[in-house]
Amino acid sequence: MPWSRHWRETNGAGRAAVVAILLLVLVASGPSAEEKQLSIYGPRVSYSLPVSEHNGQDYVALLEALEPFGNVSAGADGNRWKLRFKHLEAEFRQGTNLGKVAGQKFGLPAPFVLEGNRGLVPLRALPAILALMLATKTDYHEAARRLFLGGAATRFTTDLREGGLSVRFSAPVNPLISTEPGRLKMTFARDPVVANAYILRLENPLVSSITFSENNGRAELAVQGKVPLLAQFAAGGRTIDIVPAPRQSQSTPPAAAPETATAAVAVPPPLTLQALTARPPFLVMLDAGHGGDDRGALLSETLEEKGVTLAFARRLRSELQSRGISAVMSRDADVTVPVEQRAAMADAARVALFVSLHAASQGRGVRVYAAMINSATGKPGGFVPWDTAQAGHVLTSRALADIVKAELSQHEIPSMELSAPLKPLNNVAATAIAIEVAPSGADVGSVNAGVYQQRIAAAIAEAIVVGRSRVEAER
Amino acid sequence: MNRALTLATALLLAAVVAMGVYLHTLRRNERERAQHVPDSRPISAPVAGPASRVTFYLAYDDPGVVRAQEASIALPADPAQRGREILHALLGEYVKRPSSHELPAGADVKDVFLVNGNTAVVDTTPALAQGHRSGVFVETLTIVSLVKTLTTNLPGVTRVKILVDGRERETLAGHADLECFYDVVTVEQLLQQLR
Repeated sequence: MPWSRHWRETNGAGRAAVVAILLLVLVASGPSAEEKQLSIYGPRVSYSLPVSEHNGQDYVALLEALEPFGNVSAGADGNRWKLRFKHLEAEFRQGTNLGKVAGQKFGLPAPFVLEGNRGLVPLRALPAILALMLATKTDYHEAARRLFLGGAATRFTTDLREGGLSVRFSAPVNPLISTEPGRLKMTFARDPVVANAYILRLENPLVSSITFSENNGRAELAVQGKVPLLAQFAAGGRTIDIVPAPRQSQSTPPAAAPETATAAVAVPPPLTLQALTARPPFLVMLDAGHGGDDRGALLSETLEEKGVTLAFARRLRSELQSRGISAVMSRDADVTVPVEQRAAMADAARVALFVSLHAASQGRGVRVYAAMINSATGKPGGFVPWDTAQAGHVLTSRALADIVKAELSQHEIPSMELSAPLKPLNNVAATAIAIEVAPSGADVGSVNAGVYQQRIAAAIAEAIVVGRSRVEAER
Repeated sequence: MNRALTLATALLLAAVVAMGVYLHTLRRNERERAQHVPDSRPISAPVAGPASRVTFYLAYDDPGVVRAQEASIALPADPAQRGREILHALLGEYVKRPSSHELPAGADVKDVFLVNGNTAVVDTTPALAQGHRSGVFVETLTIVSLVKTLTTNLPGVTRVKILVDGRERETLAGHADLECFYDVVTVEQLLQQLR
């Protein structure tokens, strides 16, 4: 019987059953699970490798595993594969378990796989191979696919104190901080953070539990909060303080933010209908560009952009707070904060305004930017696409950029206003502008001069006061 | 003074003047050669095709504008190859010294691919990004110049994606987004602000 005829002759219940089965099949064959990866942590380098499956076993490419440690080369000759690393060699044959590593016979737990010129070894054999090739001790967390070389490990302690929780690490860390209602999560992809897997339950008005876990090449520290929480980096990234988010009030000027605060992320409390409909307070996020490993532009032989932006952000924060406007900073120390995380922090904290700060050695005065994106035709709904989150706000962003330029002109500071494809403006679901401070004259060092920065900060703060009603109207 | 002596003196004077002119020319040529940074970009295959009029959108760091400028270059018939040659010539203006918007030696376009008729994927050499000056404005000028020049000379192309050495890169030199597709409308809006 032809399929179309059979389909027509099937009754309604039968069709529903077929549709249900198809849906189940579609769900089952939907987006595949997260790709498997192995993280390797050395004393000086940390990296991740993709893990592939062959005959039900996990495999990794041996050459890629050794590449970060020095000159390595490999080649296939028929079914024989040879790798040379510094003065050592490893040799395997396609489909066999026996090979040679650093002059010693080496048995693999599963056959060697040759894919073109890529030699794949069973993941379980990699710690022993690296131990021989690198002459170092290894510690492999097999279930989490995390391999520690040469004793690399960052440990932490927690200290519950009045007003918050401090997590102290034995070395600087740079986790990806994400939030869910009532929960703050730190994901360590490149930091060799280790601990015995545990859940610590607390009788505390702020934090109810702390959970450490590791999986698929990453470690995760999750803090369950009873109130909205902020994560603050301190001690050069060795400490992360979890503190309650300040309650913003439009009428009361906020207390000065602590000098150690960085990467502050507001964790919203569990959502209620009232919370969803209430307008969040007017909060400005100042994003000091670059930081940590990312120094930004080298403005002169001794002046790095990351330092100039941080100094300027602090001045602007002070100017805003003196005008009764709450401001938080995406970083308040020389730490690396991934550019997309800055936008994620702003979106999570539901800021009213995001100001990205940069500095340049070319040109004169100040350049004010809005995102280079087409404006959305309507107000976005509950969810907005990450790549075009700014589309619904760009008209207000441009209007505020106009106001900032006008205010700078009033303060007799040369300025220019335009749009720019600057990351991460497009990902901010709020009014967002960028400021690029250029020298006041021929001397590039003037870009870091206190008096000059203060004049610009005062003008921008004044502009934000003037433009606040416009920004509020759009929210 | 007899006639022969007068003639000899005149000839000697003429020789001195000619020598002076020759020396001046040599010095000027040497000065120009010293200013010119050697173009270390790979030599591309000679292009066969008639000379065509193209419009470059040239960036000027000072006073921070992008201006249209006509030029005549030999172009092949294939649109993707035309795009490559046009951008190769454009970047040639920036790698020479002095330049209105200096780009590092070796900055070039490896290839241009046309997808679905309206999208151009521009693959650039690693030198373009690795040696590019870092800054919001200076990176934006490069992007606008490349995208506007390409879309103007290849009608129908409305979106441009820029790769570096065949791979997607987060930013050009720390600021300008290279993960997005640039569309002709937003680039045109920005160009209006840069005129």
